[in-house]
Amino acid sequence: MIELGHFAAFLALGAALAQGWFGLRGQRDLAGQMALVSCATMAIGFATIIVAFARSDFSVALVANHSHTLKPFLYKIAGTWGNHEGSMALWCLVTTAFGAAGAWLMRTDRPLFEARALGVQGLIGVGALVYLLFASSPFTRLDVPPLQGASLNPLLQDPALAIHPPLLYLGYVGYSFVFALAAAGLIEGRIDQTWAKVARGWSMAAFVPLTIGIMLGSYWAYYELGWGGWWFWDPVENASFMPWLIGAALLHSVIVTEKRGSFAAWTALLAVLAFCFSILGAFLVRSGILTSVHAFAVDPMRGSFLLAGLCIYGGAALVLFAFRAPSITGGAAWALKSREGALMANNIVVIVATLTVLLGTLFPLMAEAAGWQMSVGEPYFNLTFAPIMTLALIMLPVVQAWSWGHAEGRGWVQWAAAFAGIMAVVGVFGFGVWDLRTGAVIGIAVGIWLIAGAGIELWRRAKTPGRLFRLPLRVWGMSLAHAGIGIFMFGAVIETTERFERTLALSTGESAEVAGWTVTLNSVRSIEGPNWYADEAALVATRGDEEAMLSPQKRFYPAARMPTTETAIHKTPSGDLYAALGDFRRTETGQVWTFRVYFNPLIDLIYIGVILISLGAAMTMIPRRRRA
Amino acid sequence: MTLVGSAIVLALMTSEPLSDPDAEARAQGLMREIRCVACENEPVSQSAAPIAEDMRARIREMVADGATNNEVRDWFEARYGAHALFRPPARGIGGTLLWLLPFAFLALGGVIAMLLRGRRNTREITPVEPDHDAGTQP
Repeated sequence: MIELGHFAAFLALGAALAQGWFGLRGQRDLAGQMALVSCATMAIGFATIIVAFARSDFSVALVANHSHTLKPFLYKIAGTWGNHEGSMALWCLVTTAFGAAGAWLMRTDRPLFEARALGVQGLIGVGALVYLLFASSPFTRLDVPPLQGASLNPLLQDPALAIHPPLLYLGYVGYSFVFALAAAGLIEGRIDQTWAKVARGWSMAAFVPLTIGIMLGSYWAYYELGWGGWWFWDPVENASFMPWLIGAALLHSVIVTEKRGSFAAWTALLAVLAFCFSILGAFLVRSGILTSVHAFAVDPMRGSFLLAGLCIYGGAALVLFAFRAPSITGGAAWALKSREGALMANNIVVIVATLTVLLGTLFPLMAEAAGWQMSVGEPYFNLTFAPIMTLALIMLPVVQAWSWGHAEGRGWVQWAAAFAGIMAVVGVFGFGVWDLRTGAVIGIAVGIWLIAGAGIELWRRAKTPGRLFRLPLRVWGMSLAHAGIGIFMFGAVIETTERFERTLALSTGESAEVAGWTVTLNSVRSIEGPNWYADEAALVATRGDEEAMLSPQKRFYPAARMPTTETAIHKTPSGDLYAALGDFRRTETGQVWTFRVYFNPLIDLIYIGVILISLGAAMTMIPRRRRA
Repeated sequence: MTLVGSAIVLALMTSEPLSDPDAEARAQGLMREIRCVACENEPVSQSAAPIAEDMRARIREMVADGATNNEVRDWFEARYGAHALFRPPARGIGGTLLWLLPFAFLALGGVIAMLLRGRRNTREITPVEPDHDAGTQP
C-alpha cells in the first residue's frame, strides 16, 4: 500500500515539474491539467499514509514511531499530520491542491498570466515534493515491524489540535498561490486591477483558515497546557503570527490595487513576503533551531533544505520584483489625506510590528550564535509590539472614513481629538473606578474606538435603518471584522493585566480562597480511559449562591510514558475559573494535592473577537449579487 | 495510580500569596518575566518544575521585603545570568539594539511615508466615496 503512495508522490513530482514547464511556456491548458494530475496523485499518496495510520500498519516506520493500537480512531487519523514527515506530506497535498483549485477557478481574460501563475505554483510544488521525498519521506518501511507503536505525543491527542495543522497549512500554503500570482504578474510587468481582483480572493482564502488555525492553537494551549494563558509569545506561535500580520497588511493593500490601481508594487511585495514568512515559519518550527541553535546542528539536513528553499524562492521573487517594480506605476492620484494615504500609513505600521516580532523571535538565536545567552519573552513584546500595533488600530477607523483620492471633512487632528476624548473618559473610569493598569485602559479605549468606528461606518453607508441590511456583504464583513478586533482587544488586555493565579496545596476537605471563590477539595480518585489513566480531583467552588464543580485531571499515557494535565474550566459571564491538578506529597497529616487555580477574566471575548474577524473576512469573499 | 509523578514532588512547596493585593499583583507580574531555569521556554509563572516554585517563593519573599522590580530582576540576573530574564535588559550593544530597533523602524517607516506621499496638488483630485466605488472595476 505505502509503496503505491510513494510511487504516486513521485508521479505528483513529475506532474508538478511538467506543470512548471508548460506553465512558464504559457500553455495554460496543459499546465492546468498537470496541476490536476499532481493534486490527484498527491492525494493518493497522502491517502495511503492515512490508511497506514488507520490500520496501525507498523511496518511503516512513520506509523511505528507515532501511533499505537489503543489510540482512539480520530487520533490515529490525526496522527498522520501530527509528526514532521506526515505534516510535510500534508503541506505537499495542500500546495498541489491550491494549484488544482487555481487551474479550475481562475477565469481572467489573460491565459498567459494564468499559465505563468500555475507554472510558478508547479515549481513551488516541486520544491515541497523534493523535500518530502528526499529529506523527510513518510513512505519508509521497517525491515522488522514492531508489535506495537511508540504512540503520538499525548498532548496532541485533542480535537482542536487534530484540525489545527490542516487549517494552519491551508493558510501558510494558501500564500504560495498568492506568491505565484505575484510572480506571474511581475513577469509580465502587469500588476493592475484585474490582477488584484484575482489576488484578493486568494489572499482571503489563505487568511481565513490561518486565522482560525492560530485561534485553535491558542485555545488548545489555554485549556491543555494548564498555564492559564492564551498567548505566550513562544517562537512557535510567533512563526504563525508573522505571516498572519503580513497577510492582514496584504489583504488591505490589495483592495487599494483592486479599487484604484494604486499600491501595485507594494501589494506585489507583500504577496511575495507573506509566503516567505510562511516558509520562515516552517523553517523555525521544523528545523529544531528554536530549542537551540545547536539542536539545529544535530540534523542540519532538514533545516538547511528549508532555508535553501526560502533563499531560492524568496530570492528569485525579490530579484524579479527589483527589476520590475520601477516600471509598475499607475493608479489614480492620491493625497496624503486620503483613504490611500491613511492605509499606507497603517500598512507601514503593521509591517514595523511584524519586524518587531521577527526581531524578538530571532534575537535570542543570533545572540546564542554569538556566544551569549539571552531570553526574549512576553514583557518585551508587550512593551514594543503592543504599542506599535495599537497605533495601527487607532488609525483604522480613519482609513474607513476617508474617501479615495483626497478626503474632505475631518482631518487627522479632529480624529486624534476624538480618540483623546474616548481615552479621557475611559481613563477616568479605568483609573478612578475600576483601578485598571495603563495598558488595560488604553486597550479598552482602542476597543471602544474600533467598535464605534465599525458601527458609525455601517450607519454612514446605510444612511437609513432600512438600507442597513441591504448593504453589500463586503461592507458587513469589513465592519464585523473590525468590531471583532475591538472585542478581541477588551478580552486581551483585561485577561493579560487582570488575570489572577494562585497555587493551592489542599488535602481532602480543605478549602482556600481564589479571586472571590472558595475552593474546596472533596476527593481525588483514579479513573481510566482508552489509552490513559488519571487522577481526577473533585473541587467545589462557591461564590455567594453560585456553585461550580471542577474536575481537573492529571493523566498518564503509558504508551508514551508522558503525563498531561486536563484542566477544568467553569465559565461565568465575567471570566473563567480555571483549575489544573498538580502533584501530590505526603505529610504527617496525610496527602496534600497541589492545584494551580486561575481566574481568567473575559477570556471568551478573545475568541469571540477572532471568530468575528474570520467570519467578517469570509463574508467579504462572497461575490456581490448582480442587480438587474 | 496516585503514584503518578510522586518521585519529583517531595521537594515541592507552595508559597502562600502575599496578603497585600498590590504586592501580590506585582509579584505575579515578575513571575511572568523571569524564566524557569530548568525549563525549555517558560516563565516561572507557568512552570510546574520544583525549582520554579522555589523561584516563585523567592520573588514573593523579595517583594514582601520591599524590593523594587529592578532589584528582583537584578538578583535573578546575578544568580542565573541574563538568560533568566524574559525582559532582556537594555544594556550593551545587543540589548540597546533589541529595544531601539522597533522604534527606529517606526521612525524610518514615517520617513518613507513622507517620501511616498501623494501628489501635493490635492485640489485637482476628485474624492471618491468608498461606497460608490463598486463601478470602478474594469
